[in-house]
Amino acid sequence: MDKILRINMGAEGGPKVTVAPFGDYAGLGGRGLTSAVVSKEVPPDCHPLSDANKLVIAPGLLSGTAGSMTGRISMGCKSPLTGGIKESNAGGQPSQVLARLGYGAIMLEGKPEGDDLYKIFINKDGIRITTDNSLRMLGNYDTVEKMKKEFGDKIACISIGPAGEMKLNAASVACTDAELRPTRHAGRGGVGAVMGSKGVKVIVLDDTGVSMRQPKDPDKFREANKVFTEGLRKHGVTGEALPAYGTNVLTNILNEAGGYPTYNFKEGRFIGASKISGETEAALETERGGVPTHACHRGCVIRCSGIYNDKDGHYLTKQPEYETVWAHGGHCGIDDMDKIAMMDFLDDDIGLDTIEMGVAIGVAMEAGLLKFGDADGAINLIKEVGKGTPLGRIIGSGAAITGRVFGVERVPVVKGQAMPAYDPRAIQGIGVTYATTPMGADHTAGYAIATNILRVGGFVDPLKPEGQIDLSRNLQIATAAIDSTGMCLFIAFAIMDQPETFQAMLDLINTFYGLSFTGDDVVDLGKKVLKMERDFNMRAGFTKEQDRLPPFFKTQPVPPHNVTFQVKDEDLDKVFNW
Amino acid sequence: MQNKNTLDDNAKHLHITIDPTHFSNFYEILQSGFIVRCRVGVSIKALLCEQFGLTPEYVVERISTIFLDGKPVDDIESAIIKDGSRLALSAAMPGLVGATMRREGVYASLRSSITYEEKHSNYQSKEGTVTIKLFNLLMEELGPIFLKRGIFVTFPAMATFLTKQPDNFWKACKEILLDRKPVVYSILQKSNLPAQCDWVFLTVLILN
Ligand code: SF4
Repeated sequence: MDKILRINMGAEGGPKVTVAPFGDYAGLGGRGLTSAVVSKEVPPDCHPLSDANKLVIAPGLLSGTAGSMTGRISMGCKSPLTGGIKESNAGGQPSQVLARLGYGAIMLEGKPEGDDLYKIFINKDGIRITTDNSLRMLGNYDTVEKMKKEFGDKIACISIGPAGEMKLNAASVACTDAELRPTRHAGRGGVGAVMGSKGVKVIVLDDTGVSMRQPKDPDKFREANKVFTEGLRKHGVTGEALPAYGTNVLTNILNEAGGYPTYNFKEGRFIGASKISGETEAALETERGGVPTHACHRGCVIRCSGIYNDKDGHYLTKQPEYETVWAHGGHCGIDDMDKIAMMDFLDDDIGLDTIEMGVAIGVAMEAGLLKFGDADGAINLIKEVGKGTPLGRIIGSGAAITGRVFGVERVPVVKGQAMPAYDPRAIQGIGVTYATTPMGADHTAGYAIATNILRVGGFVDPLKPEGQIDLSRNLQIATAAIDSTGMCLFIAFAIMDQPETFQAMLDLINTFYGLSFTGDDVVDLGKKVLKMERDFNMRAGFTKEQDRLPPFFKTQPVPPHNVTFQVKDEDLDKVFNW
Repeated sequence: MQNKNTLDDNAKHLHITIDPTHFSNFYEILQSGFIVRCRVGVSIKALLCEQFGLTPEYVVERISTIFLDGKPVDDIESAIIKDGSRLALSAAMPGLVGATMRREGVYASLRSSITYEEKHSNYQSKEGTVTIKLFNLLMEELGPIFLKRGIFVTFPAMATFLTKQPDNFWKACKEILLDRKPVVYSILQKSNLPAQCDWVFLTVLILN
């Protein structure tokens, strides 16, 4: 993984390929690399769908190795949804395959003149780019089927659905999973629209004849991986809760805490929560012959995903995650798991961010376009997006635009991006991250909970409310660092509680690259990434006024605890003081 | 809050002995919440260990997330169970929020606006009722204990549950007793529980 592949889609005479060494970007991977390229090479004031924007697709530092949990892929660009820098990441197979093919990144640059659609095929022998207009407006599932027929089933695909082709703000980029289904999405921020603006429908990766990336010290790497894997397996969250129930196990917890946003953030508890909880979902999957424990890519030992079958036992979609079940479920007052699973399938097929779509539909419900709880109406709205009707294009442009078009006051977005499944009035510390992350409201921006073991920013008294600012800062730093390794953020539970598992993670990097990375270096990397991202946003015109939650969080108490968001603006402005 | 006499007076006793393969059918009841009779005016720890028979090690290591009346609890020795309280129990959970809700976790301050605080210290120990909710791994581990001990479920909730059960659930039932008398499952399946009762006292024995 020592080269960068640049494809200028707007070059004279057709797309032009350049392969070059890492150069200035040496030592970076995943989010670290995408944010470095975007902040250095993309003019901050450019239109996100113009030729000046770039879509950077980067595996993590350890992707393509035998290391566990190393298959996340980052996609970065200037976001059409937020207008700021974006890193959106996904699981699936492409990260491993791309890294094994030797590429540290694919950068889609420029913009073609006409409206031809392109497919890009990459294998050990090189890169082939061809026009293929037969793919126009195909869903991700059909697109992948066609690629299978053409290139066989030893491939991994990165593709967009109709939403990306229409350049809608909620468009995602799909990555195929281990079964070659397009179920893993870089969902947030409209990265699919940027891929669509480059005219690229699908990137097909084939690593046949290529071997695993080899570590500098194979014996020590193997040993570190063993300790790391054992640590994940023995921990209660990574070894038991996530494999058994997936992320949707959080529904009951959030609901009990009164922090489960319901009816478009009107209430904090949903009466139908137990019908759509992870426990119910897993039992249903088992009963129907699906799978409640499944890896989104080979090499994942946590396996938080699953397979969701319909009533007749046929595959419907992958196990919808917590955020998806919430966005299409409680947020919209819907408690029918089958209907939610259908929406998950449609989002994946059309190529849409499930959070942005669910929140936009909830906002439309608030506007009276349809009733809360109307599952069939919600399904129809997603289908309208797929067809590109005027109403569908509004909803597919995200919650902020939907709210503006339909005159809704309560629109839960920050920097134009829909807020995920945790009410910031009940869990105020998360509100701090929602408000201040350079990414727009994003729960994963402060997800790497291993700050204590990373010793990011010193000791914070957990029982003092003032600690929220420091904790949010520390969490964002730790997350930016882990996002750069290509490791799934869910490793954070085991590395938070088990120092030897954290050390094993460092050893994996060190023995692979022959480095002596310490916890402090990890923290420095995280700070560097965040600094680049904040700097880009500032140059794009963001001020501290964008680091705020919508006013209704301060004025409308959320039941059952009847709390409002209390963190002061001046405190929010201290998050990045380090 | 349920008065002891009211519960007993208006409850039918349903007992089911069932194969372990169908234990998960009871998840819906366990996670939605059920009522137990116990001594209230005691700490959460005393309730869990002294009345429900859990070991202190299990409580410390396994029940890492506890909500009392919808509020996350840090100190289980000072938080007091009152008559009519609702207690939700969970194992360690994923996500930043999962970590945030943990008892005395490093991220507790992130949810300080809803954290449970005990306002008084003088409570009398007395007979009462508590609503218990079991989530995730604890449904499997503690569910059989509570079901064996006996739980109160409202009549409508029980009727909905029974009506919904598929044939293979009933086939897995080795014994069904209503007020200690054997009944055929079709009576329950059609939700023909005597409608005069407000509550069902459910005991379930999971065969090994
Ligand atoms: S833990 Fe879940 S999200 Fe992470 S790599 Fe495994 S299956 Fe994918």
